[in-house]
Amino acid sequence: MPLAESIPAPALLDALRAAGVTDVVAVPDTHQRTLIELLQADPDIRFIQTTTEDEAIALAAGLVVGGRRPLVQIQHAGMYASVNNLRGVAIDGGFPLVLLIGLLGRDPRKPPRENFDSMVRYAEPLLDALEVPHVLLDGPADLPRLAEAARLAAARSGPVAVFVGMTTA
Amino acid sequence: MTASTSRMSLDSALTALARRRAEQVVVSTMTALAPWRERAGTDRDLVCVGFMGGASSLGLGVALARPDVPVWIIDGDGSLAMQLGSLITIAHAAPRRFLHVVMHNGVYDTSGAQPLPAEGAVSFAGLAGAAGYARAVRFDNAESFDAALDELLEVDGPVLAELMTEATGAAYRVNPPPDAKPTPVLAQTWPRVARALA
Repeated sequence: MPLAESIPAPALLDALRAAGVTDVVAVPDTHQRTLIELLQADPDIRFIQTTTEDEAIALAAGLVVGGRRPLVQIQHAGMYASVNNLRGVAIDGGFPLVLLIGLLGRDPRKPPRENFDSMVRYAEPLLDALEVPHVLLDGPADLPRLAEAARLAAARSGPVAVFVGMTTA
Repeated sequence: MTASTSRMSLDSALTALARRRAEQVVVSTMTALAPWRERAGTDRDLVCVGFMGGASSLGLGVALARPDVPVWIIDGDGSLAMQLGSLITIAHAAPRRFLHVVMHNGVYDTSGAQPLPAEGAVSFAGLAGAAGYARAVRFDNAESFDAALDELLEVDGPVLAELMTEATGAAYRVNPPPDAKPTPVLAQTWPRVARALA
């Protein structure tokens, strides 16, 4: 019995709008490919692509300075790659950033931290170590958590992660 | 490419920039940070401390949020080398009033002046030009940089000025441990910049 199901990309895009996201700063993620396709064509939310996740976090912070409400869209591997900017920019800088992180390869029968795949298994414990709050989207019913994450990021002046449990449909 | 034999002082390079300081948002980092802030710091200064290589991405975000505001980056060569892909991102995003100054002293100044890999061969202006910056120029003396700067500031698109500078020998000093949890310098500065831009 799977614990998680795919979220249709249009529903996820609506959730981004509901959360007040103005810009998505992204490094391409196989897991969220269908959402990226929608974002690239979206007339309202600006899609900004970077070459590394480090850049994505710093760029999003600069957008906040300029009055925008960006979201960082990356994959778990990119989260591991960007830990120093997550710490040095988002956490130490006190930036209210939401990170949408794809758990590519996640076994839907298990909670992420019980997966065999190390990229999935260590994702939540890493953020626990960094004291970054995180939530999991394991299906369309979880989508309101995205706006809640944005409110929490603003309230705590710091990053909040939203994991995408299954590949978007 | 052959090694440049002529270099300007960091001070003279910053003097040329400071003379033009007005309403720009400036992101500075590493060796240039403290002398720049002493010389020309305003409430529109952001700092890149503790995330080496991130200055230009932070500034690009400001530039994309506020295209009406000129953004200057005062970067280091070792810093930029850590996030070289940012040149591609900046070129693609094509901010219209974006001056990216790279202080190319050829060493990791604060950590003991260890040489950069490929020092003497690498050209940051060459890399930026190949990435698609609107203009990318190397200067080896402050007079030529000063003479060209006004025209560079009129370019519509990202500009990289690679300044061949002397190492300062300013070693990094570790502060004594604080007794209370300090507020990191970026957290102190960005809300001020945000208010200035609002």
